[in-house]
Amino acid sequence: MAKYKSKHGYEGLLIVIEGTDGSGKSTQISRLKRWIEDQSYGAMVSEWKTSKFIADAINDAKDRNLLNATTFSLLYAADFADRLEQVIIPALKAGFVVILDRYVYTAYARDVVRGHNIEWLKNLYDYAPEPDMVFYLDVPVEILLKRIIGTTGLDYWESGRDIGLSSDFYKSFQIYQGKCLDEYQKMIKEYGFIPIDGTLSEKDIHKTIVSHVKNILKG
Amino acid sequence: MQSKSRLNEPHNLPGTLVCVEGIDGSGKSTQLAILRDWLKSLKQDVIFTEWNSSDLISQTTKLAKKKNLLSPRTFSLLHAVDFADRLEQVIIPALKAGFIVLADRYVYTAFARDVARGVDRDWVRKVYGFAVKPDLTMYFRVSEDVSLERICSNRSPKFYEAGMDLKISADPYESYKIFQKRVNDEYKSMIDEYGLVEIDANDSIHAKQVFFREKVKEVLAQKGITL
Repeated sequence: MAKYKSKHGYEGLLIVIEGTDGSGKSTQISRLKRWIEDQSYGAMVSEWKTSKFIADAINDAKDRNLLNATTFSLLYAADFADRLEQVIIPALKAGFVVILDRYVYTAYARDVVRGHNIEWLKNLYDYAPEPDMVFYLDVPVEILLKRIIGTTGLDYWESGRDIGLSSDFYKSFQIYQGKCLDEYQKMIKEYGFIPIDGTLSEKDIHKTIVSHVKNILKG
Repeated sequence: MQSKSRLNEPHNLPGTLVCVEGIDGSGKSTQLAILRDWLKSLKQDVIFTEWNSSDLISQTTKLAKKKNLLSPRTFSLLHAVDFADRLEQVIIPALKAGFIVLADRYVYTAFARDVARGVDRDWVRKVYGFAVKPDLTMYFRVSEDVSLERICSNRSPKFYEAGMDLKISADPYESYKIFQKRVNDEYKSMIDEYGLVEIDANDSIHAKQVFFREKVKEVLAQKGITL
């Protein structure tokens, strides 16, 4: 890491993998983590909505269907603030390569689709350090649908049922995720995402990610 | 949902939003309770709402406080969740239905306390950019010393009200005064910024209530309601 200067000024590196549910993020993250460790660097993973306290409150509120668009955004922002301060920044300071499963862009995509103003959202997250690299796993909505139905099944919130797009689960997921994908598309250029075709094989995707990460690891 | 802050523009809803602000021990809750009884006796539709009381999140916030686990920014966001919940579930529907909404603390509490804890002034204002502008906000001004006397006549200051999380002083009494002074300073700077109506908390209960009612009558008169 000697030559590469991180964008956020901490000793460690911040690598983000973005994409909607079913885009294959988790698989790629565990492969990337193992690869980084094989190069004798310390790596750690932090996932969206995993802060000690607030994640429970979010799950509980979702179960009881208590959230509106604003409380939804703010709760996720609180979860992020907590995780950033307690987990991510300490790890960056200690020189870890921190791999993040989703980052602020997830909030931007979902919350804009839920009707929020992007400037309001950017202010909510304006203290978030700039990642050194953001990979975006791009998968068309039809394939996402197949993957999700074949594994976890359609979830109320992931289908955007709370915003009343359609009373039909399949249709609602299609519209909601389609809108989220549009938001991601818009962000590719603005934030310099590295887009990767998420329909490629696991191995090929991994190779592409590693070829980029090599550049910042070795300078 | 909007880029410009709603806090600077009239809400244009049929109801009336009246808020009380000030540090603990300023007598604002007592005044609001007396006002409520009076308005009810005049057959007005009134509802009451208070800070950090939503079913959604207040338990999480309380638990986190007990364990002293969260940073000022995270707390700020959790209080915003609580507020957003009450705003959309309670305050706005009541305003639409023409009620007089009495709020014990409003966004100005967040602006004062969070900034006193080191949160960025502009950031927290933008976070609450979705809040509607009250028709009347009374700021009950009381010194830190009097506040301490009233609140802690029979107990010591609590961890957060004394700002002990900021590690200003190991002595909770000393810390309370320093922290609450910061909060008061923020309130004072908001008098002009948001048009808060100042009321001297050292006045008698009666004098304060007379003044409070006058102000409430004024804002109701603007909406065509004469009491």
